Amino acid sequence: MTQTLDIHERSSELGPSPAIGAPTSTTTTTGRFGIFAITFGIAFAVLYTVFEQLNWPLFTYHPAVGKVDFWMQRPRSGEGPPMYWYGWLALSFAGAAVLGWIATAVPREWLYRVTIFCCALAALWPTAYAGAIFLADRVSFDAEFLKSVWLSAIPALVAAAAVAYLVSARSTQRLWIWLVLIAPIGGLAVLGYSLKSYFSR
Amino acid sequence: MDLIFDYISVRMFWRILLFFHFVLAVVLLVAVTLQSVAVLMPVRQAAGNFIQRVRAAPPAWYVPLIVILYVPTFLLGAWVYVKYRTYVRIPMEQLGHWWTVGSFEFKEHIVAFGMGLLPAYWYLWRQPLSEEHANLRKWVTIFLAISVWYAFLVGHTANDFRGVGA
Repeated sequence: MTQTLDIHERSSELGPSPAIGAPTSTTTTTGRFGIFAITFGIAFAVLYTVFEQLNWPLFTYHPAVGKVDFWMQRPRSGEGPPMYWYGWLALSFAGAAVLGWIATAVPREWLYRVTIFCCALAALWPTAYAGAIFLADRVSFDAEFLKSVWLSAIPALVAAAAVAYLVSARSTQRLWIWLVLIAPIGGLAVLGYSLKSYFSR
Repeated sequence: MDLIFDYISVRMFWRILLFFHFVLAVVLLVAVTLQSVAVLMPVRQAAGNFIQRVRAAPPAWYVPLIVILYVPTFLLGAWVYVKYRTYVRIPMEQLGHWWTVGSFEFKEHIVAFGMGLLPAYWYLWRQPLSEEHANLRKWVTIFLAISVWYAFLVGHTANDFRGVGA
């Protein structure tokens, strides 16, 4: 099955060929499953990390009273602690499934580059934002404007676009499939760091 | 649910769920460990002692078992998590067991990422195995094994605080 995907990947590099471009129905199905599975794995890790960090659950569950609210709801008096984890999971699984399905329909070269762009942006945006805050707190003049999350998006977008554009066609293919492991490890590093307050009390 | 509670207490119900979660987790732990050993230290012939026979087992054998076990273990854990949040975590915070709380928070994330990786894991182990993806296949397998081991150890610690037999 993996070899089938490889044939597809190589064919996209070489350009369309009537012989290769007309696979049997079985070949198409397995190739699509590979694309879906890898894209799902990457997208799930990125989306889960983003939703957890921004606290964007699809719903909030209040276990003490058995109540479910749409989106994020703060704790309410007399209703016990709210649970967001289910909501992050639901939104991440749904989002990753949709992206995985879309991935099966787009040209491979586009898929690789868009995935690399998105992953690079997910890593560079918070890095640029953290760098801007660090800088704003240390310069002698008033640099509060640097603390805008949207301002830090500009260098992150440019850098992510540069990364996605400059990676060679052969490397995009290799990098794309390895992102299925890099994305969860990166996500865990971010999520683990955000838990540091528990370990420093 | 009320029908169940006519026969057993609420406390007993949650303990039974937690016990099933534990049993599934143990079997899953054995499967991911054996597969990791077979992936990291493969031998061609099944000769000699038990360890060598384990190392010689084709790692692909374990894949359906691991996928079939991971999903219900995760779902059962997600169910029991409700009780953890209301019955275990609050006294944990009151008593200042912050390391256990933080470790359990990380467990939520790592098992979720394991779930997200399952389709790719399944795909990478489908026959015929690709030589090109051998390295990735190995590391995805190790990642899953680490996630299961971490979840098991942290879950066990939380159970010792307030769970079955605690």
